Amino acid sequence: MKKLFAFGLVGLAAACGGDEAGGPVSFSDPFCDDVIPRVQTWVAEQREANPVPDDPRYGGTAVLGSIGEIAQGLNVASSSDYSSVQHQMFVGLMTLIDYDEDIQPRPYLAESWEVSEDGTELTFRLRDDVYWHDGERTDAEDVAFTYRMVTNPETAFPNAAFWDYYVRGPEGVEVLDEFTVRVHLQPHSEFLNAWSTVAILPEHLLGDVAPTEIAQHPYGTVCPVGNGPFVFASHAPQDRWVFEANPGFPEGLGGRPFLDRYIYRVIPEPTTLLTELLTENIDVYLAPSPDQAARILDAEHLELHSFLFRNYVMVAWNGRRPQLADARVRRALTMGTNRQEIVEAILQGYGSVAHTSVPPFHWAFDPDIDGLQHDPEGAAALLEQAGWVDRDGDGVRENAVGDRLSISVKYNQGNQIRQDIAEIMQAQLAGIGVEIQPQVVEWGTLLQQINTPDLRDFDGVVMGWVTEFRLDDTDLFHSGRIDEPYAWAGTENPELDRLLDRLAVETDRDVAAPLWEEYQEALIEEQPYTFFYFSERLDAWNRRVHDVVMDQRGEWVNVREWYIDPGSR
Amino acid sequence: MTRYVLRRLLGAVPLVLGIATIIFFVVNLAPGDPTVYMMTPGMSSEVVEQLRVNYGLDQPVHVRYVKWVAAMLTGDFGYSFSYSRPVLDVLLDFLPNTLILSACALALAFLVGIVLGTIQAVKQYSGLDSTLSVVLLFFYSMPSFWLALMLILMFSLMARNVWGWPIYFPASGITSTDYDFLSSGAQIVDRGRHLFLPAMSLALVLAAGIARYMRGSMLEVIRQDFVRTARAKGLPERSVVFKHALRNALIPVITLVGLYIPVLFSGTVFIELIFAWPGMGRAIVEAITQRDYPLVMAASFFFAIMVVLANLLADVLYAVVDPRIRYE
Repeated sequence: MKKLFAFGLVGLAAACGGDEAGGPVSFSDPFCDDVIPRVQTWVAEQREANPVPDDPRYGGTAVLGSIGEIAQGLNVASSSDYSSVQHQMFVGLMTLIDYDEDIQPRPYLAESWEVSEDGTELTFRLRDDVYWHDGERTDAEDVAFTYRMVTNPETAFPNAAFWDYYVRGPEGVEVLDEFTVRVHLQPHSEFLNAWSTVAILPEHLLGDVAPTEIAQHPYGTVCPVGNGPFVFASHAPQDRWVFEANPGFPEGLGGRPFLDRYIYRVIPEPTTLLTELLTENIDVYLAPSPDQAARILDAEHLELHSFLFRNYVMVAWNGRRPQLADARVRRALTMGTNRQEIVEAILQGYGSVAHTSVPPFHWAFDPDIDGLQHDPEGAAALLEQAGWVDRDGDGVRENAVGDRLSISVKYNQGNQIRQDIAEIMQAQLAGIGVEIQPQVVEWGTLLQQINTPDLRDFDGVVMGWVTEFRLDDTDLFHSGRIDEPYAWAGTENPELDRLLDRLAVETDRDVAAPLWEEYQEALIEEQPYTFFYFSERLDAWNRRVHDVVMDQRGEWVNVREWYIDPGSR
Repeated sequence: MTRYVLRRLLGAVPLVLGIATIIFFVVNLAPGDPTVYMMTPGMSSEVVEQLRVNYGLDQPVHVRYVKWVAAMLTGDFGYSFSYSRPVLDVLLDFLPNTLILSACALALAFLVGIVLGTIQAVKQYSGLDSTLSVVLLFFYSMPSFWLALMLILMFSLMARNVWGWPIYFPASGITSTDYDFLSSGAQIVDRGRHLFLPAMSLALVLAAGIARYMRGSMLEVIRQDFVRTARAKGLPERSVVFKHALRNALIPVITLVGLYIPVLFSGTVFIELIFAWPGMGRAIVEAITQRDYPLVMAASFFFAIMVVLANLLADVLYAVVDPRIRYE
């Protein structure tokens, strides 16, 4: 028996040092088995044909660490999460247009575009030197295919709102010649926005896939074939994505990226991520938390960068609830909360107080807007006006029939910042006789409780939105959408309806700007949400990586221009 | 013995099926479904309904249950929503990583536990015994995720950036990013370096418990007549301890293997999260938050089977090491 036991231990010990298990198991799928060798062949040919230019900036690997997966990979048809969309736009695939530093559209896959006089026809002229990584040329058929796929209701494309003013389906798009494609739409503002976000998919590979099945196709995360500056090399789920420089990327767009390889690593624990950044095992730490900022600033080899992001955090008030139906009560809740203090305490100052959903850097933002200031006395007066008075001396206000002004505020489990917000509100609003009850709910359960139109099981909920550059709050505040999932506040305000209807179709910025000002004022009056802040997004990277640009457009906007200090490869 | 094992295995079939059934209904009746994660503003209720149809979620739960059982019996675990791949392929990616981590942790725990426990028993009431007792109690009472963070702090961050040790241990992942370009010798070293901290975090806590068992068991054996006889014969102390006492003291400790395997699996969930180890624990937690029903089902099914097998292993080991126990 002793022998057997000893053998067991030795066997285990050998396995520990061994190399048999672990790592991605080779995955067999007819689609992938077909495309992977073709991509390898093409990349090898292109390397041959386009030798690396003689410039010290070429070469090296940059490793980026993030807490989450690139959930949908390069599957444009099923993506709405930030990392996936960013990798589609800037890494693996290409959009027709992209934005410059001033958020002005500029040519990318499309070398030019034209809008007809009446604003109903949009014609793109594509570059003729962009190739899929298996060697096929990207042409107008790919654009038409992608358009048909994402506008087909059976696909259930998550960002369907992009196509609100487009003619959906096969009638909406026509191929004029190999590199010219036309789409049909109703005139509206920011009509180009969708084309800067929705990347083009390969028709020759996915043309036969049924729209109902595209979301589950191995193309997305197992063996994506792109046409962008980086070629997909491998993906080990919950571990890493490896991309290699595309040697055949068009010269006109800068040619091959400087990096040889770009690696995306998934590290779910922020403390571990910070350690890996400090010990130089990763080069870029995506979105560290504000309480880690000081540690990063202390390290000489690291750069901490922040930019005002398109994301705001707010408490949505369920206006269907009797105690929240009165806008005066909602305004009082906002005025009773010291939001500047929340930005200082929770975000360490990395954010700015929000008064509406319009980001401060956006052209529609009205810099003269005052918003509601922290004013506990004013808040108390408003509550009194609305009929909420502490009648029994227990410190909480009641209305005429004796209902207490008690409001539950839900937040999702595991989100410390949102928990802090709910608890700070509880403490501050107790001072003006409002009882706030913070309540933690698991994420999936919370979404169901607030999104299901006939449930809406919440009074207030701490949430956040990331806005697009094309601002449109119709889904949030228009009374016509009140029974759709995102009408959390249940707003019915004719003034807001009128402005939202106008703004969605107004194509002239000079006409739209004053309307936006009116909109922001109306929103402050209505207070469907207590807006807390637009957060500053933090990013940290090792100084050995040069020329990193990260701004409102995203973290990967110029990944093809990053280069590694030649002395530190 | 063979008959006993067969009988136990057959008995495990309804048990595992029962577990799977309970998990199926618990997971499916939890509020929310995969589509809530895919919703964005502008998505109409029809689109959400279409998503449910695309994922086969439009059918009632009992219909889905029957379909799931029927498919599973033919070895088809379905398609993972979140990985867009067959569930079995997803499991095959994660399972080896978890097995290798747990196996190493288990081996390490028993090695350290047995050695320390034996030393303590032989040197009972010495200064060494008391010191080891305190140290082991320290590790035993420490949650493994806390230990993990402390190990990262010391052996990764401080070791490299402050103390400048020639070797430090990376805090995350199973291999370095340049793994593919290393020689095969360097690849093994690379894997070992990545394995060290997570395996230690799991093993130290377990080892502390094992050492306590080992100490007790050894003390009991050392007082028995046959050990006294061996000493009386004039055998050297080393031979008495290692040849005669240790063998018998190991009997109750070995059976702990079976009991610790389930403990280990639940421990790996935190450890995998902290060390970014792409294993089953993380896969299953991720799958639960995203309501990836097929993956949750298959993963818990595998865990159930492993726990049942581990229990069986404990019983069998017991009979194997102790001839007095017979199963009929």
